[in-house]
This record gives sequence, structure tokens and C-alpha cells, in this order.
Amino acid sequence: MERPAPVAVPLGQAEVFQALQRLHMTVFSQSVSPCGKFLAAGNNYGQIAIFSLSAALSSEAKEESKKPVVTFQAHDGPVYSMVSTDRHLLSAGDGEVKAWLWAEILKKGCKEMWRRQPPYRTSLEVPEINALLLVPKENSLILAGGDCQLHTMDLETGTFTRALRGHTDYIHCLALRERSPEVLSGGEDGAVRLWDLRTAKEAQTIEVYKHEECSRPHNGRWIGCLATDSDWMVCGGGPALTLWHLRSSTPTTIFPIRAPQKHVTFYQDLVLTAAGNSCRVDVFTNLGYRAFSLSF
Amino acid sequence: MSSESSKKRKPKVIRSDGAPAEGKRNRSDTEQAIEIEERRIQSCVHFMTLKKLNRLAHIRLKKGRDQTHEAKQKVDAYHLQLQNLLYEVMHLQKEITKCLEFKSKHEEIDLVSLEEFYKEAPPDISKAEVTMGDPHQQTLARLDWELEQRKRLAEKYRECLSNKEKILKEIEVKKEYLSSLQPRLNSIMQASLPVQEYLFMPFDQAHKQYETARHLPPPLYVLFVQATAYGQACDKTLSVAIEGSVDEAKALFKPPDDSQDDESDSDAEEEQTTKRRRPTLGVQLDDKRKEMLKRHPLSVMVDLKCKDESVLHLTFYYLMNLNILTVKAKVTTATELITPISAGDLLSPDSVLSCLYPGDHGKKTPNPANQYQFDKVGILTLRDYVLDLGHPYLWVQKLGGLHFPKEQPQHTVIADHSLSASHMETTMKLLKTRVQSRLALHKQFASLEHGIVPVTSDCQYLFPAKVVSRLVKWVTVAHEDYMELHFTKDIVEAGLAGDTNLYYMALIERGTAKLQAAVVLNPGYSSIPPIFQLCLNWKGEKTNSNDDNIRAMESEVNVCYKELCGPRPGHQLLTNQLQRLCVLLDVYLETESHDDSVEGPKEFPQEKMCLRLFRGPSRMKPFKYNHPQGFFSHR
Repeated sequence: MERPAPVAVPLGQAEVFQALQRLHMTVFSQSVSPCGKFLAAGNNYGQIAIFSLSAALSSEAKEESKKPVVTFQAHDGPVYSMVSTDRHLLSAGDGEVKAWLWAEILKKGCKEMWRRQPPYRTSLEVPEINALLLVPKENSLILAGGDCQLHTMDLETGTFTRALRGHTDYIHCLALRERSPEVLSGGEDGAVRLWDLRTAKEAQTIEVYKHEECSRPHNGRWIGCLATDSDWMVCGGGPALTLWHLRSSTPTTIFPIRAPQKHVTFYQDLVLTAAGNSCRVDVFTNLGYRAFSLSF
Repeated sequence: MSSESSKKRKPKVIRSDGAPAEGKRNRSDTEQAIEIEERRIQSCVHFMTLKKLNRLAHIRLKKGRDQTHEAKQKVDAYHLQLQNLLYEVMHLQKEITKCLEFKSKHEEIDLVSLEEFYKEAPPDISKAEVTMGDPHQQTLARLDWELEQRKRLAEKYRECLSNKEKILKEIEVKKEYLSSLQPRLNSIMQASLPVQEYLFMPFDQAHKQYETARHLPPPLYVLFVQATAYGQACDKTLSVAIEGSVDEAKALFKPPDDSQDDESDSDAEEEQTTKRRRPTLGVQLDDKRKEMLKRHPLSVMVDLKCKDESVLHLTFYYLMNLNILTVKAKVTTATELITPISAGDLLSPDSVLSCLYPGDHGKKTPNPANQYQFDKVGILTLRDYVLDLGHPYLWVQKLGGLHFPKEQPQHTVIADHSLSASHMETTMKLLKTRVQSRLALHKQFASLEHGIVPVTSDCQYLFPAKVVSRLVKWVTVAHEDYMELHFTKDIVEAGLAGDTNLYYMALIERGTAKLQAAVVLNPGYSSIPPIFQLCLNWKGEKTNSNDDNIRAMESEVNVCYKELCGPRPGHQLLTNQLQRLCVLLDVYLETESHDDSVEGPKEFPQEKMCLRLFRGPSRMKPFKYNHPQGFFSHR
């Protein structure tokens, strides 16, 4: 298909740099405001952009409504994960977690409310924080990332209460199992570990890559995404996307997708998943066949 | 007559009377004779009365006639009088009208108004008491005053004339004196020439230049003045000269009479030639085009010397009918350059000055009015003629003080000195940087074509000591070919790949892995960085659309280019970027996680020191090199 050649705009140094930045930008995380009107997105340059969802989705949306309302430099490194409480936006990237007030965030020159750094063992390189998880019952925040530990931080006092060790390589993702308060973590080492929050100990370990049905050695063994529905769990990444029954730790269904998955979530009875390298969001039923795909 | 008849009758009667004596015929005869006598007496009386009456009638008639005659005479006399009087009346009326219409000369004179008159006139003329009441006297007084004034002015006029004569004579005298001075001054100047040369103060030469500069058209004049001023004040390496024929420039302003004489001669000549060959319509159009694109015979040459002895020669021309300035450029170096194949376009006169300021490609005329002129003679764009005429860059127009606001044709030549001055310094600096960066690239290309990435010693710290990947190929690529490549679509869509850029392809190899890099070199190198797009062929084809690490590698050279600029002025950017690509390829290949299912050792054992192999949700490889510790980490 022939694309019309675009007209080259006379570009000065600043415009060229901006265009290059935009071409190489990756958005790693996003979070919706508690009122539902704004979307915050974090990218690999450490910037957070706030978009107005109500303006962009309204019937009179123009090109300008799709641009961010405000953009600010939040972190020095990439912003890998973000999560919203009912008043704050928490963003985490290179080793620190910062909190921003949603009510103030639209003003220019917004400063963070607080920033905390979990106690790291190594000092040579600051490990990144890949995943943030809110545990509403305890009013605490769980951080996990490059130093292979899960840190729990109390949101009221800001102190770090627990550090759960067990992973041998850095942690990619976290998921919360509501009923028995347990946290699941998936990491680069290929294992999904379940942690009991009350006893602060590892309850269960599932080494996904060791199961032949789902392992894909040419992709590696890393677990990129996790979602849980109390009895069930979906995980994927290097190995194929699989639905597990948690009590028995057995894989029940393997979803036939080739590319390594980056995001997955349960939605009512369906499983929604998105791969990093394709433009599709696939929707599966629990029985393993693909119901339909949403694509860009 | 009646008397005659009566006399005649009488004899008759007498005769008849003679008869009766006879006798008595009887009584009747005597009675008849008495009766006849009575009747005869009666008839004589009657005849007498008749005569008397006749006489009376005649007399009466005569009287009557006389009376009438008299009356008639009187009437005639009156009539005559009347006529005389009427005649006089008419005459008098004519006289009166004549008098009334009489315009005395004094009414044609514009007299001063009454108030002024009473104010200015001396009392013996104005005689206010008398003249106020009597308008006749007033007018007389005013006329007197007018006469006085005129006499005075006539005096003054005569005096002024005599003054003028005197002054003219004085001027004549002084002129003669000055003209006698001129040859003496000339001789002094001639004598001082050797002294000037001895002291290195070429005033004479500068003077001659200013002389020729007088014949320059306004924009070139502004350019000349500003460039000379800048050269004297700020930059000793800049030199300005005027080239071309002054006589031709003078000929442009020849008065029309002379040219008419010439025309008649040339017409005669032309007629002879037209008999042999009629110029076709195309030739006529061609001539019109040449006429429209005619250059002014004088041009300004500016030479910029750079630190390494290379010189940029700029020749500025003025297109008279189009009212724009153009420039031709040439770069000469101290030593003869051997041009590598890929560097063909770097220093070519056509493109060396392209895009000095962003977007200033010099292929279109900057004066919007020219479009109408072009339409008349069938020229599509100026692009076809730029090789011959020079490029009409916008900065050249600004240096000549010509300002063309967008979308508004300018009809008069307004050459603005302040516009030129404000742009002079920036432009000269940009020109020097441009030449030096191009020469630096020239040298670098020569080395690149041989497969060596020339990294200078002060940039070595950016890279680890051991770099295994090698550059094997460096070639130019045409613009269309670049657009056709499958892994450059992003750059093309972002509008960064225009036709003013230069395109190259580099090939870096290590073992079985081949990395192709398509390079976009902006004319504004090195302030605008070259842009790389990568395609790796190793265990499949990986580009930025299917491998995030390739994207990260591109980001390392495209976005983080500021670290690679090296020492000012940053001409090492391209070679540093290429070296960094080699390092990145090394890291990529060595940190590729080993596939446990496949047997055999890794093709590229890890030799680089890395803290962690993967980081972040996208599992990036450690591409950032840390100096001087020498290990690789993530950004």
C-alpha cells in the first residue's frame, strides 16, 4: 500500500530533538484518577503526563484535547509503575516511590507530597521498582522490583514494615489475592511465589517454566504478567499464557498466543490480555478459546 | 376758353342780330328779337357770373393749397426736430452705457485689503479722515499706496540682482582655484602610494573599492558595507572584494538619447540578419527569459578563512529584474583533498550551504512577486537555473537587507542596513562552522570507507577498550531508496527525512550477525544530530518494530547524542555514534540469553562486565557504558 510521502517541515535543533524523543518514547504505566476524569501516564524519560479523559472522550474532542493537560518531570529514570489511592497518585521508577496529590497535580510546578526509598541491600546500582500494589485492608503499599524483594510500606506512617525475600531474580509483577490476604509475585527467575501477608512468609511457589506444556525456552523463563481471581491465576511472559488452579498448582488451560505477554487481567468471566509487540488486546474465556480481539 | 367761345358766339349773335332789321316779318319777329335780346343779355350776365364763379373757385383752390402747403411745412419741421432729438437721445444712451461699462485699469490690480491698507500705509497716503467717508478718495489712496509699494519692491529686486551677479563671480573664481588644486592632489597621492605599501595601510586600495562600490545596486551595497564593517571590527579572517565590470554597470544607467542612436544602427543591422533567419517563438521566449534572469555586472566576493587554512569563497550576485540576491560557494583547502566516494555531495557547491538555517534550501525564489514574472516568460521555478545563477538563500537576502514578508510581493527595493547588520555575525559564524564540519566529515568519510571508525583520543573515554564489532561498509544512499527501506518508516512519517538531507548506509558485522544502519545526515550537522535506524540480521530479522532492544539501541545514539558530541565544535558526533553502535552490538550479542533447548555453546561469550542483564518490565539490556569503571548498566 503506498503511503503519501509526508512533507518535511523545516526543523530546527529543538524540533528534531523533540521528534526523536517522541519516536523513542515508551509509556510504561498509567493510572486513572479517583474521580475518573483524568489519566496519568508515565514514560521512560521519567515524565508523567496528565490527560483529560472527559475532554478527549467527549463528542467535541479536537486534536488539542488529546494532548496532555500538564506534563512534568517526575523521576530521573523511567516511571515503571503507577497506582492511585483515593487522594494520591503514587509513581515509582528508579528506586524511589513518590506520591502526588491528585487535587494539586494539574497546577504548574507541582511538587511531590513525599518520597520514600525502601531499604536496599546493594549500593552499587539503585534497583528499579517494577510493580506497586495497594492492599486496602492494611492501608499499605507493596513495592517490588530490581532487588528481588517485596517491601511493604505503611501508607500512614511511611515506614517499611516487611521485606519478603525469596526471588532469585528481579520481580516483574504483583497481584493481590483478596480472600486470604496473599500476594503473588512473578519474576525474571520464572517462578510465581505466593506470600502470606500475615506471617510474612512464602506460602507457595510455582515454577512455571518447569511445566512442559507451557514452557517456551526460546523466549526465556521470565514471568511478565500476573492476574488472580482468588482461586485462579493467569500468568504469562516467556512461557505461554496459562490459567492455573491455585490450590492444586496445576495448569488448566494454555492460551494459544505466540508473543510473550506483557499485561493480563481478569474481567468478570473473561481474561483480557495484551502483548507488547502486537497491536491487539485478546479476550479469552476461561475455557481457553479466544472470544475476540480488540485491535488498534 | 369760355370767353373765346363767348366771343365767337358774339359775332354769331351779331350776325344774327343783323338780320332782324328787315322787317316785320311780323310782330313775332320783333317779339322774338326782343326776347332774343333779353336772353342774350341774360346769357351774357350768366356768362359773367360763370366767369366770376370760376375765378372765385380758382382763387379758393389756390388759397386752400397754400394753407395746406404751409401746414405741411410746419409738420415737416417738427418731424425733423423729433428725429434730431431721438438721434441725440440714442447717442447719449450709448455714451452712458459706455461710461457705465468703463473698467478702469485700477480694478484689475489686486489691492491689499482695507484693514491691511489702513494698518500699513503711512498717514499721508492713507489720509484716513478723508478716505473713510469718500470711496473715490479711498480708492485713490489705495492706488497711491500700491504704487509706493511697487516702487520699493522694484528697488529691492534690482539690488538682489546685482548681489547675485557679484556672488556668481566669486564662485567662478573659487572654482578655478579648486580645479587648479586637483592635479596637485593627484600627484601627492601618487607619491604616497609607495609609503602606504611600506606601512601596510592600503588606503588607496580601499578607496578604489569604495569608488566601485558606488556603482553597486543597493542590496549588494548594503552587503558590501556590512561585510566590510564586520570584517574590520570583529573578524580579521573575512575579506571582501568587488568583482565585475564597472563600465557595464555604468552603461546600465546611460541616458536614453544615446541608446536611441545606437538602436537605429542596431535596427538596421538586425534587419539584415532577420532576412537570413527569422527568430522562432521559442528563441524569443528564451531571450525574454535570459533578460529576466539577467545579473548585475558587479558582484561581491567574500572570503572566509578558517583555522585550518581552508577558505570558503562566496560570490554574491544581484538579479536585477527579480530583485533577489544569490550566492555561489566554493571551498578550497590548503592541501589537495582526495574525495572519498561517499563524500561526493559534502562539499559540492550545490549543497554545501543548503539549510544553513533550518528549512532554507535555496531552491525557490524568496520574492513572491517573482512568480508573476515567471508566468509571463514560462519559467516554472528558479530551481532549474540555480546552478548557473547561484542559490537565493533567505540568509543572503537578509544580509543584503532585503526583507520579503510572506505572501506579500515587494515592488520597491528597500535595502535595510539594520536587517543586514543583525544577521551578519550569526551567518558568518554559521558559515564557518558549516565549512569546518563538512571538511571534518570529508576526512571522516575517507576513513569510514576503509572500515575504520576514526575516534579521536579525547573521545576514547566514551567507549570500552575492546570493541569487537567492525564497520565493513559505508555508502551513500539515494533519498528515494531510503524512503523505500522497511525499517525507516517511522522517521519518514515523523517528517524528518526531507530531500535536503544526505543519506548513508553503514554495515556493522560481528560473526554471523549483521547490523544495517540507515543514516539521515541533516545539512545542519553537527548541531542537528544524524538519525540512525537499525536492522539486525541474526537469528531472524530484528528491527525496532519487533524488538525493544533494537529500539533502545537506536535511542542510545539518536536521543542521547549530546554525550557523544565530543569536544567543541562537536564534529566527532557521527564517528562517535558509529563507534557506540559497534559497542551496542557487542553488548546485545553477548547478553542474549542462552536458549537452553538448543545445544552448543553461545556464539558470543559474554566479555562485557554488566551488573545486571535485564531490567525493568521491558527487560532491557545494559547499554549504558560507565567510565572509568568500565561496566555496563541501564539508563
